Amino acid sequence: MENTQKTDVIVTEEITKVYDPDRIPIFALNGINLTIQSGELTAIVGPSGSGKTTFLNIISGLDTPTEGKVWLAGKVLSEMSGNELSDYRRDNIGFIFQAYNLIPVLTVRENVEYIMLLAGVPKTERHKRVTAMLESVGLAGVEDRLPTKLSGGQQQRVAIARAMVSEPSIVLADEPTANLDSKTGSDLLEMMRKLNSDTGMTFIFSTHDPMVMESAKRLITLRDGKIDSDETK
Amino acid sequence: MILKIAFRNIFRQKRRTILTALAMIVGFMLSSVFIGWSDGIYSNIIDMFTRNRIGHIQVHQEGYLDRPSLYKNITVYESIGNTIQNNEGVEAWTPRLYAAGLGSVGEKSTAVRVVGIDLMREQNATKFSQKVIEGRPFQDIALNEAVIGNGLKKILKAEIGSDLVIFSQAADGSIANDLYKIVGITDSGDDITDRTTCYLNLSAAQELFVLEGRIHELVVIVSDINHVGRVTSSIKDTLRGLTLEVLPWQEVAKSFYNAMQADKQGDSIGRFVIILIVAMGVLNTVLMSVLERTREYGLLRAVGTKPIQIFGLVLCEVVIIAFASIVIGAAIGTTINYLLSVYGIEFIDGFTFGGMKFDKLHAEVNIRTLIIPTFTVMLSALLVSLYPAIKAARILPAKAMRTR
Ligand SMILES: Nc1ncnc2c1ncn2[C@@H]1O[C@H](COP(=O)(O)OP(=O)(O)O)[C@@H](O)[C@H]1O
Ligand SMILES: [Mg+2]
Repeated sequence: MENTQKTDVIVTEEITKVYDPDRIPIFALNGINLTIQSGELTAIVGPSGSGKTTFLNIISGLDTPTEGKVWLAGKVLSEMSGNELSDYRRDNIGFIFQAYNLIPVLTVRENVEYIMLLAGVPKTERHKRVTAMLESVGLAGVEDRLPTKLSGGQQQRVAIARAMVSEPSIVLADEPTANLDSKTGSDLLEMMRKLNSDTGMTFIFSTHDPMVMESAKRLITLRDGKIDSDETK
Repeated sequence: MILKIAFRNIFRQKRRTILTALAMIVGFMLSSVFIGWSDGIYSNIIDMFTRNRIGHIQVHQEGYLDRPSLYKNITVYESIGNTIQNNEGVEAWTPRLYAAGLGSVGEKSTAVRVVGIDLMREQNATKFSQKVIEGRPFQDIALNEAVIGNGLKKILKAEIGSDLVIFSQAADGSIANDLYKIVGITDSGDDITDRTTCYLNLSAAQELFVLEGRIHELVVIVSDINHVGRVTSSIKDTLRGLTLEVLPWQEVAKSFYNAMQADKQGDSIGRFVIILIVAMGVLNTVLMSVLERTREYGLLRAVGTKPIQIFGLVLCEVVIIAFASIVIGAAIGTTINYLLSVYGIEFIDGFTFGGMKFDKLHAEVNIRTLIIPTFTVMLSALLVSLYPAIKAARILPAKAMRTR
């Protein structure tokens, strides 16, 4: 279901993040202005330490910028309270981290279900969506396993399912393939690209793997906390 | 779902759960056995004190206890005694006559407290013969025999077989004066009693003081000390209309009762030690577990779990472990208390408390041995978990996900 009408999902204005401002200040981000539209598949690239994680954390409200503003789906993040942000993340953002994505004591199904439980989605609806989602990431049959019984690639696919199942405005992935071998990694990316085009969901992922960059439609390169280049294929 | 996660975490971190539970179980057990044992000792003391001395319930003429007097006596005590005996829960009753006088053996004289007793009833109620440590109790019919306290024997430099002269004033104003042969020496466990008391046959005492058919005190022994209150009121009911005062031991020996109550409350040091054990054990393991799971909490926060839910998750785990520990602790603690209450602990030389000698002490199983430890363990566990729980709730997801 391609969403043809593009809207601005994320707008950032002069985002600056300074760590340790009192001693030797580290400018993790230094004046980032960006607009990301719905349905985009955007890669944030750049060497380690260039500010990719910091950027993703800030646009998702996990972290606050030292200066600047973030609009997420039309709302200013800095104006929300802690609990509002929690609900906002739960309803609008899907996360995929580099590792440790899953709650170890919950099964695959329960991990994917968790956010919908927090959001109070009724049981039958939850069940239907989880089953469909696990199917589409190719995990049918392992629903009742614990994360430790899965391979790294399978774990990341559970994370994708978890991130997408509640149909958030945006899915953020911070170096999702960094812990995988290149074949598994590119399979995963291929899947993300397919899900992006199938569902029209907005994807932003960071990486410093050149091969991974290939799959993105838009490539934003960070260097020392600044945008070095921004190209759309 | 939070509950589910809590449960599974408990099973995932088995070693830690066992450590936490162990602290709680040991704390519960200590607390329970401590209370069972000290309550048991108090019960032993109270039982000894009441059963062997003052009885469980006393009946006097009105005002006698406040101001004892030869004239405030009870007549037709046999029928009153029989009426009392008919009350449910009454085991035995025994009459006593009290009077003061001067006792002399040879050259030595001292003030004595004459106690007239019905030997058979006294034996039944308070095991009089067990208090006789030398010689023998007087014979039932012998009106010229006396049994005196150990201390009195020393003061009067008396021996078994010595002649004792008692000199006093009788109820009719005449001079009471008679000679008795000392046949036995008592050790009642109370020094003051033993320094002054001289037991006579009730009829001999009634004759000496010209109080035929009269007594001053009627002592009642009940079969279960816990029912004293109920038995007291039923006796009161049956004696309504008579000018008699029926009092339970708690009122007869008010200061003793108050001292026992105060002592029972005074186990705060023991409780503090137990709280400390639980607190240390729980704080340690819960804090470690929170620190170790920083990432997991960070992830939960990142995907939209609220801080209060994380807080609840940490406390939930503690409460579940506490519940299980309390059940196990209660089972073990009660078993120990039960065994101690049945078999008791024997003391090789016995020990004395308040003039009473104990050879064996028993613990007690009561509701306090369950309720107090339950609250102690639950509250101290919850209290020390607050800090780790707040710490977990405050984890910043952005930071937590970075730490490796
Ligand atoms: N909590 C922090 N305290 C201090 N410096 C930090 C912290 N987090 C990140 N940094 C610094 O900010 C910069 C950007 O880091 P990061 O966003 O993780 O980059 P990337 O994800 O591209 O590797 C780096 O120089 C890093 O050392
Ligand atoms: Mg990074």
